Amino acid sequence: MSQVPSPKSQFQELSDENLCIVDGELLYDSELADGTLTQSENQKLKTKDQKHDGQRTTDNKQLQYIFLPLIFLTVALLGGLRLNAEDNAFLFLKPALVCLIYATLLLVLFFRAGLLKLDGWFSEKFSTLKNVANGVVLLALFFASTQIFNSLLPERGLPFWVFAFCFFWTLWNNLFVEFQGKRLLQSLGSVFALAFVSKYLLLAYLTAPASASWWRGLLENPTQEAFTWLLDLPRFSTGTGYIQFFAVIFYLLGLFLLPPSTEQWNVSERSFEDSI
Amino acid sequence: MKEKHIQTLGIALAAVYAIFIAWLYWVEPKSLEEVPSKAQTTIENVTTKTQVAIGTYEIDRAKFNEGLAAFRQDSFIVARDSFQKADVEKRDTRTQFYIAYSFYRQGFGRVSNDDALFKQGLEQTNRVIAADKNFKSDDADLQLKTPVELKNEFEEGLKVTASDFNPLKVLRERK
Repeated sequence: MSQVPSPKSQFQELSDENLCIVDGELLYDSELADGTLTQSENQKLKTKDQKHDGQRTTDNKQLQYIFLPLIFLTVALLGGLRLNAEDNAFLFLKPALVCLIYATLLLVLFFRAGLLKLDGWFSEKFSTLKNVANGVVLLALFFASTQIFNSLLPERGLPFWVFAFCFFWTLWNNLFVEFQGKRLLQSLGSVFALAFVSKYLLLAYLTAPASASWWRGLLENPTQEAFTWLLDLPRFSTGTGYIQFFAVIFYLLGLFLLPPSTEQWNVSERSFEDSI
Repeated sequence: MKEKHIQTLGIALAAVYAIFIAWLYWVEPKSLEEVPSKAQTTIENVTTKTQVAIGTYEIDRAKFNEGLAAFRQDSFIVARDSFQKADVEKRDTRTQFYIAYSFYRQGFGRVSNDDALFKQGLEQTNRVIAADKNFKSDDADLQLKTPVELKNEFEEGLKVTASDFNPLKVLRERK
């Protein structure tokens, strides 16, 4: 009578003798034992990869040539828009000359920091259409930059000059600093956030609300009336702050999505962080 | 979608959007409700400018006739408004002459003329002369047929002379 092995002894036998270490890569079940694919399967995989790459490139191109200009132009639209305090009527403020100068400095800074590469955007190797399309994207970026300064700079008076000086100081210093693109973005984000908070929270808080008469306003809000008069603060509706908040967000989003070079999107799938 | 198609579409969309934004900043609508009326005004202006550029500009006959009717009824403010609407580009000498003439007739007084209206009339007449110095009106109702005669009337009316104190002056007739 044969002896029935116990489960424990069976496991021990398997573990000690029959199991061996398998050292190798996992293969698809369709792959041959020697690791090669059949020709048709290889072709299928390649086609699938190519389709995937093609789809990704198309998406990137759509983002770059369609959505980026739209984002930047939306910033250009919102940047000069204010709402009147009395009746919420639209006020379209054209940018001051200093905004154009700052936008130019900012673009120079983008190129210096490597956030944008000139030869990656304009090249004689590119077709005319591509150069023009790239130019349109950068033009939209310039308009957006101009309007973002229009948005963040106070409209007039002493605050305008103080803010303008601070922006100039920051931009001028940054021009001579060795920047990384990512650091520049962080720096810009913090500067814009500070300017936004100062203008649309601090100065807006100091601005007296619109009242029927000057005397009444002085009696009801003497401090705010005094600051409004002393600092020559314009009276805007609270909706203005909301609009400008989205303008700043859209601008930073656009910068985040902006590739340093248009060629980069064709040859690799590097993420934005890798590229900068 | 091919790359060049995306690029072309991007350029077109960006151009249209940029023009729209520039237009908004130009016309400065006060609210969203005002945007269609501003658009209509812009289209009318562009149409008129295009007509001027290609040489097919014509005044609005209906408005001109309205203005002429008001002019004959001595309703000069209404007449001027209609004439100005009829000739938006201020290129029709005949219409501009009527505008100048309306200043004369409105400002004329038997005792004294309205200097403010006469000054405006003089400026308007100078514009008519600059546009066409040989213009001659064919309207039988107008005694002053040319802009030069009208200009002389304005200049004489604005001067203070001894004849202004002549009591018989009240008998003079409006031309």
